[in-house]
Amino acid sequence: MAEHLDTSVLVTLQEVMEAEYPVLLDTFLVDSEERLRLLQAACRSGEAESLRQAAHSFKGSCSNMGAALLAELCREMEESARRDQLDEAPVLIERIEREFAIVRILYRAERQRWGGPG
Amino acid sequence: MTISSQLSADGQELTITIRGRFDFNTHQAFRDAYQCAGSSPRRYVVDLNGATYLDSSALGMLLLLRDHAGSDKADIRLTNCNPDVRKVLSVSNFEQLFAIA
Amino acid sequence: MPRRLSILIAEDGAADRMLLAAIVRQQGHHVVTAANGAEAVELFERERPQLVLMDALMPVMDGFEAAQQIKQLAGNELVPIIFLTSLTENEALVRCLEAGGDDFIAKPYNPIILEAKIQAMNRLRRLQATVLEQRDLIGRRNQQLLDEQRAAKAIFDKVAHAGCLNAPNIRYRQSPRALFNGDLLLAAQAPAGRMFVLLGDFTGHGLPAAIGAMPLAETFYGMTAKGYSSNQILRDINAKLKLILPVEMFCCATFLDINLEQGILRVWNGGLPDGYLLKTVNGARLPLRSRHLPLGVREATSFDDTFETLPLALGDRLLLLSDGLLESCNADDQLFGEQRLLAVLESNSDPATLFDDIQEALHAFHGQILDDLSLVEVSMIAEPGAVAPHLLHVYPLGSRELRPRDWSTCFELRPGSLRSADPLPMAMQLLLQISPLRYRVGTIFTVLTELYANAVEHGVLLLDSSIKSDAEGFASYYRERQRRLDALSEGFVSIEFTVKSEGANGSLRIAVRDSGPGFDVQCALNQQYCSESLGGRGLRMIRQLSERFYWEPDGKVLNVEFHWSGHA
Repeated sequence: MAEHLDTSVLVTLQEVMEAEYPVLLDTFLVDSEERLRLLQAACRSGEAESLRQAAHSFKGSCSNMGAALLAELCREMEESARRDQLDEAPVLIERIEREFAIVRILYRAERQRWGGPG
Repeated sequence: MTISSQLSADGQELTITIRGRFDFNTHQAFRDAYQCAGSSPRRYVVDLNGATYLDSSALGMLLLLRDHAGSDKADIRLTNCNPDVRKVLSVSNFEQLFAIA
Repeated sequence: MPRRLSILIAEDGAADRMLLAAIVRQQGHHVVTAANGAEAVELFERERPQLVLMDALMPVMDGFEAAQQIKQLAGNELVPIIFLTSLTENEALVRCLEAGGDDFIAKPYNPIILEAKIQAMNRLRRLQATVLEQRDLIGRRNQQLLDEQRAAKAIFDKVAHAGCLNAPNIRYRQSPRALFNGDLLLAAQAPAGRMFVLLGDFTGHGLPAAIGAMPLAETFYGMTAKGYSSNQILRDINAKLKLILPVEMFCCATFLDINLEQGILRVWNGGLPDGYLLKTVNGARLPLRSRHLPLGVREATSFDDTFETLPLALGDRLLLLSDGLLESCNADDQLFGEQRLLAVLESNSDPATLFDDIQEALHAFHGQILDDLSLVEVSMIAEPGAVAPHLLHVYPLGSRELRPRDWSTCFELRPGSLRSADPLPMAMQLLLQISPLRYRVGTIFTVLTELYANAVEHGVLLLDSSIKSDAEGFASYYRERQRRLDALSEGFVSIEFTVKSEGANGSLRIAVRDSGPGFDVQCALNQQYCSESLGGRGLRMIRQLSERFYWEPDGKVLNVEFHWSGHA
């Protein structure tokens, strides 16, 4: 079962980013909100290809940041869209939104631990 | 193109065998063949049995061998010449400088 | 060994872009970033990074399009593009490669793998740069060589300008690069109405082959102008080449000594394929075979300068060709060969078109015009006497005031010298001292040559011209001449010059005496012209060319006079 946040990935990110670590977290959160909006719009429009691409991109982004479960959900969405099974989409979107809410809290906590406004 | 050489038991005669095209690319190998034997051989045999082609640089190499072997005193036999090789040697009148068999 | 590179990162996700840039910077590289394909192309043009990390899916312009544009901008240089993608379908990966991608890396980014890929791409990049550098270096060196060859050719042409390759009776085909393929073609008018032609083929290529041509041409033209015989010229050329060329280099050559007036062709061929004398009288084709070693092989003492002698008549043609023609290969690697050439000669019906027939056959065989084959045709079409004035330009022309002249000199050649010496060049030098007669020196030389030959062959050696009636007779006449000359133990020929001038008028008298039995000169002069008595014809020519021709009653001394008046 995938974790909400893979701590080993977080450790690597800290090593790479050093002082810029909190900036990375912030950027990811802002970025992801936008991606979520795109995902919702694509779902509403019923265009399978846009939905697939949006899910694919979001998946990549999440995997880089260690949000493993969220990445896995995006992968499922990408797969459904690829198979043109859009009736499952709304349900998946909802699960993604909920997972993102969790991940956002966890990242904010992480940010605070690091030292800085949450 | 391959060149091999064989010194007789008494060191008096060196036989150099040429296979393939006897042309410019053979230059170094041919020189090595007779220079390695030093100046001990009194007679030389160049076996052209396997030689498929002879050009002007090959003729030049034969002249170098002759020079090495004492010029006018040189004793060099060119053996097993096929008709094409014989023709080339004949047009340049090399039988005036080498014994051709 | 890891090196610092300038790397462009094109990724639309802000967090991903930030992360990747941090990873790459941490590895010591200089990073610039773009958020979409269009920005990536623009940034590439401006910054010229050495490597690109490209996201596949981006807004405005996607990664594939951007990659194609960047590859075009890079031109010959290799700018590796690593695609950032987790597209796993084969189709997507193929798209990456087709767009010019050199590799790809998946998310999540693994710094170790990324660095390994960057360094691998860098090695490829440097390899390509080296190849381009070397290509340019080779190009420059090549140009240098061509420039050197051009300079060498210009120098050579200055030496060769004294020739008469543009005479109306000579046709030849030779490429501008012939000199550097070792092919040499020289032609000069010699005194006494002769023409010397030399076709040479040096071993090797390039400058070494061309360098031997210079001293050869100098010797050929210089000695021809001074009146030396073809034998002497050939001996000198051989000696010079033997001296300067390394052991393995030599020059195959054919030397033609053409004397149409006397109807004599003398030929020396050392190492070249057969030339041909095409007789107009009976359509016969006489081969001019190689009987000697090439030039530059034999020492001077053992050099064989024996010429073959053949009869020559108006309308005859001479054909010479170099090795290159017979050994030329077509696209299927077949040799043109002697058989094909003989076939062309056999099937030709009109000698006037033979030169063209051969060219056509070559063209047909090769399917194209090859310009590196030497082919020469010399036709006996005109009396060469008119060319004598040409020689004037070769001699150093002084501008001396007319002064009184009163001198005489005589020299006598006995058997030893008759065999080995040639008095004619020395006589020529003396004649040149007489400035008022300089413009006629060709004619005077012709007369002197005829008188000397007459004295030697008929006076001393007692040969009979009537033998020279056909090709076989010709050959045997000259063989006999050589035999008798070799065996000669007594006899002499003497030549006396007497020059007198008074005021603006003056005269040169040449007296040639021989030790022979003498002959009835008037009778010989009166004989009807026919090929059996070339002796009579020669005497008539002497009379025609001089102001006065007279002789002692016994015919042992023949005198000719040349007069001038009012010349400066």
